[in-house]
Amino acid sequence: MKTVQTEVPEALYKKAMALVNEGWFRDEKDVFSEAIRRFLDTHQSEIMQNFIREDVEWGLHGDD
Amino acid sequence: MTEEVRTIVCDTGPVIHLAELGCLDLLADFSEILLAASVVAEIEKHHPAALSVKLPLQIRHTQNPATEHLTAMCRIFSLDRGEMDSLTIMENRSSAIFLKDDASARMVAERMGFRVHGTIGIIIRAIRRRQKSPEEVLSIIDGIPSKSTLFIKPALLKEIFSRIKKEFNI
Repeated sequence: MKTVQTEVPEALYKKAMALVNEGWFRDEKDVFSEAIRRFLDTHQSEIMQNFIREDVEWGLHGDD
Repeated sequence: MTEEVRTIVCDTGPVIHLAELGCLDLLADFSEILLAASVVAEIEKHHPAALSVKLPLQIRHTQNPATEHLTAMCRIFSLDRGEMDSLTIMENRSSAIFLKDDASARMVAERMGFRVHGTIGIIIRAIRRRQKSPEEVLSIIDGIPSKSTLFIKPALLKEIFSRIKKEFNI
């Protein structure tokens, strides 16, 4: 495991801690790990590249 | 042949990116430019100068709540208020284009059956719409890393450059 030190907005931290306090997660580290995992799932390099390549083709040859 | 010009629903990111690149005027030939009130609030917070550009922007307050399906999709993909409000507008304007750069929101929009494009598409479209020359567009794209907060990996920017040059024999 890697240790990452970062700053998050107070409101975000409070929301994460609320989930921990309600018993949904063991601690805030688990909340942030899960959140990052989900973000990375939808922001894979290939997906983002495909979106941009589609944009290029629409820009060049679209009809609107 | 007359090309159809559509309504465009803009989210925060592309408006800011186009403003940073001095290209917001490229939206001027859409028949309507719609922004959710929450998107306007985000732009005011992060790049207020973008709202001073003379464009026929129409601010929409989302009166009807999002459908259950859209609400669920937005929660699954962790979309923010502005993205959700923009997609709610799209639900009532399904022939419009949704302008968005973030991958998650684009995924949701596509799954909802909406047409979605991003900042790069609008910039390159300017050649087709005769708003800019290919050389001017290449110059704008060249300025993306230094002038804007739109992050595109250098190899892909290079690929876009080559694609445009090839298309126009530059």
